[in-house]
Amino acid sequence: MDTLVSEKHRAVRRSVRAFCERELLPIARDIDHEARFPWDVVEKMARLGYFGIQVPREFGGAGMDSVSYVIVIEEISRACGGLGLCVTVHNSVAVFPILAFGSDEQKHRWVPSLARGEKLGAFCLTEPNAGSDAASIEATALRDGDHYVVNANKVLVTNGGVADICLIFARTDPDAGRKGMSVIVAERGTAGFVAGDLEDLCGMRANPVSSIRLFDCRVPVENLLGKEGMGLRIALAALDTGRVGIAAQALGIAQAALEEAVRYARQRRQFGVPIAKHQAVQMMIADMATQVEAARLMVYRAAVLRDRGRPFSQASAMAKLYASEVASKVTDMAVQIHGGYGYSKSYPVERYYRDARVTRIYEGTSEIHRMVIARGVLDG
Amino acid sequence: MERHIVVCIKAVMARTPKKHVVRAPDVLELNPFDQPALEVALRTREERGGTVTAISMGPETGAFALSEAMAMGVDRGILVSDPALAGSDTLATSTALAAAMNKVGAFDLVLFGIRTADSDTGQVGPQTAVLLGLPLVTGVSSIEHRDTALIVERRADGFRERFEVSLPAALTIHPGSVQPRDLGLSGIEQAFEQGGIEKWALADLGLSPEQVGWAGSGTRVPSWTHVGREKHCEFLSGAAEEQADELVKRLVTLGLIG
Repeated sequence: MDTLVSEKHRAVRRSVRAFCERELLPIARDIDHEARFPWDVVEKMARLGYFGIQVPREFGGAGMDSVSYVIVIEEISRACGGLGLCVTVHNSVAVFPILAFGSDEQKHRWVPSLARGEKLGAFCLTEPNAGSDAASIEATALRDGDHYVVNANKVLVTNGGVADICLIFARTDPDAGRKGMSVIVAERGTAGFVAGDLEDLCGMRANPVSSIRLFDCRVPVENLLGKEGMGLRIALAALDTGRVGIAAQALGIAQAALEEAVRYARQRRQFGVPIAKHQAVQMMIADMATQVEAARLMVYRAAVLRDRGRPFSQASAMAKLYASEVASKVTDMAVQIHGGYGYSKSYPVERYYRDARVTRIYEGTSEIHRMVIARGVLDG
Repeated sequence: MERHIVVCIKAVMARTPKKHVVRAPDVLELNPFDQPALEVALRTREERGGTVTAISMGPETGAFALSEAMAMGVDRGILVSDPALAGSDTLATSTALAAAMNKVGAFDLVLFGIRTADSDTGQVGPQTAVLLGLPLVTGVSSIEHRDTALIVERRADGFRERFEVSLPAALTIHPGSVQPRDLGLSGIEQAFEQGGIEKWALADLGLSPEQVGWAGSGTRVPSWTHVGREKHCEFLSGAAEEQADELVKRLVTLGLIG
């Protein structure tokens, strides 16, 4: 790991960890239980630059590299998966596409307030009948003079309940198939823009996941991101970046589960000794630590490749697949080490277990990632 | 009136993996007791204007502590580093810091953490003040600024003591006096990427190798032994109320509650 991180990265980890342990960890159980978005902590995170981690300084961001980015997400997620999710989605699949595909005017209009966390972003691709098969979306954005009339039913939108600036994937040419998809930036408050009720989810409950619906919503043509027909390309580029963040999030949750399991194993006594003395528990701890370390190497390597301008798509797909599956296994073992108490809300591992599960589903399921990776291997 | 405040800081060892004392980068951190001193300096600058300089003596691996201070908002960071400084005890460290202070330019106030988290002596602040001939108050919890003096407060043995101190002065800051600010990502990026930490060697300070390091140290640490703390857990018996009474009694006896 020493070869992948610098003094700066260590400083990032120390400072984010100190902040999260003081501000987020003490409330993590309650905000999960109450499904509450902690605005006060989010505002503090915003002041520290967590919502514009890689945004260039000229747009009000911190201008950091991808390794710093994954460390921030890992550390927030170590304290609270739902907030890690909020920050990574905002940075990667909401802000990044505007920076990468937006015009100068669009960047200046939206990015500074997003980077300062004054406004939150969301990525609205998934629909009731379009998830892994992203090209089958039914949302439409039809040109009418200098506006698009957007009709969309987007579901399971991360940050949906609080997002101000939403990237809506819609068909601008309903007859053009995959090439007819575009991205329209819709702002909360526009007539016809409705954020639905919050989802009552198994995990990530501090994140206000909701539907976003647009009913004959008139959005100025200036809000088209890139060009008409670029929707799928923008989605894939955003998800390439986004999956490094989800991998970092899974890593942070797994790290937290490992630490809790070690702490508990040292303290819990059965058969006259701490359970850490039992070989059956040691085997689990060894597997957990090894898998977490391997996941970390993959996640950081994907970030390093991105920082060096090298192709990172395959590495980020592998990191996301592996880290999310490790998070599921490691949190499962942490529950097992805790025995009956692990199944109780009195201990944090059940939360890690629930939070970890979805990292294998969103921003590309494990199965989709295997397809992508296999294609890369076979065609490469 | 503007102040030039110098804060002396140290990179301390946060952990000793496998009980080995090695100043490797991944076990070092900015001394947590220095952070309130930096915070006090920065708040003073925000209120009154002026500049804040951080000085640290130690090997190059500790330079990040100065970068972190700069990420907090310090204007100038100086690393005093020289192979001849290796082995310095607290007196030799104070000798080097006092020499650095004489070179840094006119200052109004020099602040220290109350102690370091690794060697825990609490001696460097007071010794440096003596070498510089400065008035000193230790464990300061609050500061009021007058034009040419300070009114500082410290708590000791259940009393609140107020001192009037003429400037320039030296203070060690009580860790509970302020909550240090969190480092923003932008500050970290600038501090670590732009660099700008000045490096001073022994020759820059006008000191000879005999005055510092092993040669200038009156004390030696011939060995380190890790001492594990024995912990044992005792279960109180009886009805819940009896257990609670017994627990309170024990805590009072230990002086933990009163």
